[in-house]
This record gives sequence, structure tokens and C-alpha cells, in this order.
Amino acid sequence: MNQIVIVGTSHHIAPLDFRERLSFSENQLIEAFQLLRKHPDVQEVAILSTCNRVEIYAVTRSKDGCAALSNFLSNYHQIESQQLDKFTYSHQNLDAVRHLFNVTASLDSMVVGEPQILGQVKEAYAQSLAAGATGDILNRLFTKALSVGKRVRTETNIAAGAVSISYAAVELAKKIFQSLEDKTVAIVGAGEMSELTAQHLVKNNVSKVIVANRTYQRAVDIAKRFNGTPLAYDADLSFLVEADIVISSTDAPHYLIDRPSLAEIMKQRKHRYMFLIDIAVPRDIDPEVSKVDNAFLYNIDDLEMVVASNLKDRGQEAEIATQIVKEEVAKFHSRLQILEVNPIIKALHQQFQGVASKELGTCLDKAQLTPKQQKMVEAMTQSIIKKLLHQPTAHLRQTVNDANNDHAQYVHALYEMFGLEQAKDLDTENTD
Amino acid sequence: MNSLFFHTLLLVYLAGCILHILFLSTGNQRIAKYGYWVTVGGFLLHSFFILLRWRYAGHPMAYWYDSTSFLAWAIILIYLCIAYRPRLRTVGVFVVPAAFIATLVAYTLQTQENTAIPTYLQNYWLIAHSSAIFLAYAAFIAAFGFGLMYLIEEKKIREKQHTLIFNLLPALGRSDELGHKCILVGVILMTMGILIGALWTQYVKEIKWAWVDSKVIFTIATWLIYVLQLSIRQILGWRGRKTAYSAIIGFAAVLFTYVGVNLFLPSIHAF
Repeated sequence: MNQIVIVGTSHHIAPLDFRERLSFSENQLIEAFQLLRKHPDVQEVAILSTCNRVEIYAVTRSKDGCAALSNFLSNYHQIESQQLDKFTYSHQNLDAVRHLFNVTASLDSMVVGEPQILGQVKEAYAQSLAAGATGDILNRLFTKALSVGKRVRTETNIAAGAVSISYAAVELAKKIFQSLEDKTVAIVGAGEMSELTAQHLVKNNVSKVIVANRTYQRAVDIAKRFNGTPLAYDADLSFLVEADIVISSTDAPHYLIDRPSLAEIMKQRKHRYMFLIDIAVPRDIDPEVSKVDNAFLYNIDDLEMVVASNLKDRGQEAEIATQIVKEEVAKFHSRLQILEVNPIIKALHQQFQGVASKELGTCLDKAQLTPKQQKMVEAMTQSIIKKLLHQPTAHLRQTVNDANNDHAQYVHALYEMFGLEQAKDLDTENTD
Repeated sequence: MNSLFFHTLLLVYLAGCILHILFLSTGNQRIAKYGYWVTVGGFLLHSFFILLRWRYAGHPMAYWYDSTSFLAWAIILIYLCIAYRPRLRTVGVFVVPAAFIATLVAYTLQTQENTAIPTYLQNYWLIAHSSAIFLAYAAFIAAFGFGLMYLIEEKKIREKQHTLIFNLLPALGRSDELGHKCILVGVILMTMGILIGALWTQYVKEIKWAWVDSKVIFTIATWLIYVLQLSIRQILGWRGRKTAYSAIIGFAAVLFTYVGVNLFLPSIHAF
């Protein structure tokens, strides 16, 4: 009987050093696939190994497929089974399916809605496929899981809204400017947060970075990190005319930028949009500045509030996503079962065909019919087979689709009654 | 026949409106896709309907309601030019209802046969003149939509409310840019429409070029609003909120020129 099983670990239950020990490098993956394929119980296998999780998905013959995978992990990585049990989880069949769907839907991620996991699963599946480790069932499972991940992202807003301060700033910049590509960012002062934000902006293709500091040497030091232009400023803030995004975090005790001076700067830059981020405490930028047309000011509290509300929203969206996963698991379940009864239906057809062609052969030998009559008799035989098998086949398919019905007894009865020898090694029990 | 078409069209556009609004309130991209394709369906049906009217009435712009129906069609045309990019489908929330309303107006007016253009004027001049003007109107309505989108998004940014709508609406720079482009296209089309109208009077004996016609005066006034706005943007760099406000003022002018003039003032223009 075939079972879908998964054994793995993730940031939810295991510390980093354990996850490191359990992870597979590129070369180890190939080796692991070979070893697992040789395992008598394992029919199909796929391995997902990222920094947050290591998971082995497999289709096994025996009932305790999980144990087989756990043993493999403990042998391969030489980890005591006691420790392994403590830091790993295992799921079977529908729970395993649900787990993978949750993973691709990013519901199992450290930050719900994060975008990387879908790509990581895709990559892991591609590697397993290329190694020839997967088969019919896992191929279907992973293809479906990836589409579930996509569905969750298009139908919910789970990935919307930045969940860290620096990303919130980048997101805002993207909501103000059409594109960041030809934009200039000015970092005034220094600080971890402003540098991190600038880094994200550079990653989003900001074209120029100006680093302004009271001491020139300090500006040069910071500018090196972004390939930026260092600048020593005094009272003169004219460099802001060029800046589309200003990140300010000086330790000045008073406002550096006030409303009249910014209004003048805006006029000089022909009122092109300016996004000002004030990370300094005490503040560098007069809050009155936000009344200047086309200038947008956010301080550290504003950004923190945005992040908090985004996190809350994601929580709500996660509930919708969970519903989608539930729905997709049910759909996959019935597909899996149809997949299971298909060989039986096929065997049944084959048996009937065999009997018919044998009998037809003897009959046609004896009766000397014209070619036209022969064709008619053959067509009639086919039609009889079809009609005889229609009702049981339809009924079997229907039973499988009905979750409340245990179709195993039907399958069993068919085997017994028709003596379907060829199909005997196929599953006769409900995979649940 | 007319009624059947109008009923179907109204239903399709209404479905388009509902789907777009549903998209803006849920953020479900699949709904946006359905909304887009339903609107595409409405557009095809509408195009067929206009062709049919052309055959049946002998001219696509014979009556008042033909012009309103054409305006609705033109609005959808401009929507489709923008919304084939999925990120910009939010504009549908603002313009598809406009097309629905225009279609509804056309439907209620279809019984007023007395608004017909004299048959001797039903020629290609009329098609060129009115379609240029109505395409310009449609472009201005789209600009109005972008103006609203800009103002809503700006409000969300200033009030620091990063809600669903904040996430779905395009960046300020983008709304501003697209609104500007719509106005530019509208001004070009309107200029063409006015010039064609002026030339027409030179070629047709029955009508005289009428500077004092109220429709002409208000059309030129509307045109001036937009041209002025474009010039100031070019010279002083006006953008953002000011562009959005001028798009709204311009829209009011369009509305008055198209509907108000005929209701309150005498004009040689039937529409």
C-alpha cells in the first residue's frame, strides 16, 4: 500500500545548529537520492533543504514509512535517534499533503507571506525530478503544491505590506515614485537603520546615493559601502535639491530641515516628489514639512505603526489562506483516490477484452462471415463490454469521490469477484 | 432589438463594475482578471452593437443616444488600453462605472427620436468630428479617474493608513503620469475634433461657422483648461495634487459642455 510521508525539521521546533546538521548540500542531495532509491520501502522521494527547514517527502510501500525516513536521516547524518525524534516532525498521507501545501502557501514560514519559500520548493522539486527520484504521485503532489502557493498569493493579500521597518520604507518609496531606477537617495547622518534602508533601496535599483555627514571622513567611510558620493554639509542643504529620498538620522538637537527651507528646495526641484524618512530621535525634520506639496514625511514611529498593522493584516489573510489550503487538500485527496482506482478499472477492461477477443476468435473461425458481418459482430462485442462495465465503473468513481464512503471494500470485492491477478500488488486499502 | 442589446450590455457592464469594486475591496487578483475579461466581452458586444446601429440607422452618430453610447464605448476602449497590465486594473473601479452610467443614459434616451441629426449632415465629417471629440471626452474621464486615484492614494500616504486600497492603487508617480498622458491624448484629439468641425463648415453650405454657438464656446473653454494645465506643468513643474484637481475641474467642464449646454443653452449642436 502506498503512503505519502514526510519527515523533517524547521525553525518552529529545532534550533539552528540542529538544522545545520540535518541539512543537505548539493552533493549530499544526489547521494541521498541514490541511497533512498535503493531502499526497499521507498518508491519516490524529494528533499527540501533550506536554511529554515529540511524535509524529506517520500512515497513508501510499508505502513511505517516515517520510521524508514527517520532511520535514514539518523544514519546519514549520524544523529542519535532520540535527538532526532525530539527535533523532527513527521506526517502521513493527507497530513503530509496539508503540510506541504502550508509550506508553499508560506503559512509555515517564520514570517507568514514571505516570498522566497515558493521558489525554494520549486528548486527542490526540480532537483529531485532531475535526479529521477520522484514518480507519479510526488510529481502530482509538488505540481499541485506549487499551484496552491501561487493561488494563495493571487487570491489573498498574504504577501502584501512590509513587515520590517526598512522594507516599509522601501515599499513607501515604491508607492510614491513610479520607479526607483532613476532616483537619488541622500543619507544624512549615520546609523544602522538608515544604512539598512539605503541598502534595500540600492537593491531596488536606486541610481545614486549621496552620503552627507558633518565630518567628511565619516561620509567617505559610509559612502564606500554603497558606492555613493560622500559630502560634508554645514548649514547648506542645497544637495537635497537632487535627492528624491532623504533618510535622516543625525544626532542634531534641533530640526535640520524646516518647512520654509524645504518649500524652497521643492521649488528648485520643480516639485518633483520627495520622500523624507526621519529616523533620528530627537527628530531632524520638522513635522510641518509634511504640509509641503509633493513632500512626504515618515518618522520612525510612523514606520513602526505601519509594520504592526501589516503584521495584523497578514494574520487575517492567513486565515483565508488556510481555508484555501483545506479546500485544495480535499481536492487532491479525491484526485489521489481516483488515481488509485484507475488501475483496477483498467484491469477490469483488460480482462473483459481478453475474454471477448478469445471467444470472438473461435466464433469467427467457425462461422464464415463476410468482412462486413465480421465488423458488425466485433462492434457489437465492444458495445456489450462498454455497457456492462459502465455502471460498476461509474459507481466506483463516485464512491471514491464521496469522502464519507469507504471505497476499499468495493475495490476488494472487485478483486475477489473477477480474480484480477495483475492488479493484485496495487493498493487495496484506503490510503487514509 | 435595441432594447435586447442595451439590456445585455448594461448587465455585462454592471457585472464589470461589481467585479472591479469587489477586487478593490478584497485584493483578489483573480476577481480583477474576471472583471477585465467581462469588460472585454462588453466592449466586443458594444462594438458589434455600434456597427449594427450604423447599418440600421444609416449612420453611427445619428442620434443623441448614439453619441452617449459611443462615449461609453470610448471609455471602455481607453480602459482596455490601460488595464491590459494587471497592476493598473484598479482604474476600472473609476471608469467602468462611468461607462455603465453613459450606457444607461443612452438607454433611457433612445426613445427620443427628435434628437436626430439632419440627414444631409450625416456623413463622414460627422463621424470624424464627433468621434474625435468623444474619444477626447473619454480620455478626460480616464484622467479624472487617475486624479481620484492619486488623491485617495496621497491621502492614505499622508495619513499613514497602509490599508488594502493603499496596496492596490498604483504609485503616486504612476497615477500622475498616466493622468497626464490621458490629458495629452485628450487635448490632441479635441484639437483635431475642433479643427475638423471648423473645416466642415467651410465645405458644407448648409451650416455656417458659428463662433457664438454655445457648444463651441464651452468646448473651447474646456480645451483651454486642459491646455493651460499642460503648459503650467511644463513650465513650473506642477504635478501631483494640482494635476489631480485640474483633471477634476476639467471633467466638470466636459460634463457641462456635453450635457449642460444642451439642457440650458441653445446650440446648433444636437450633441
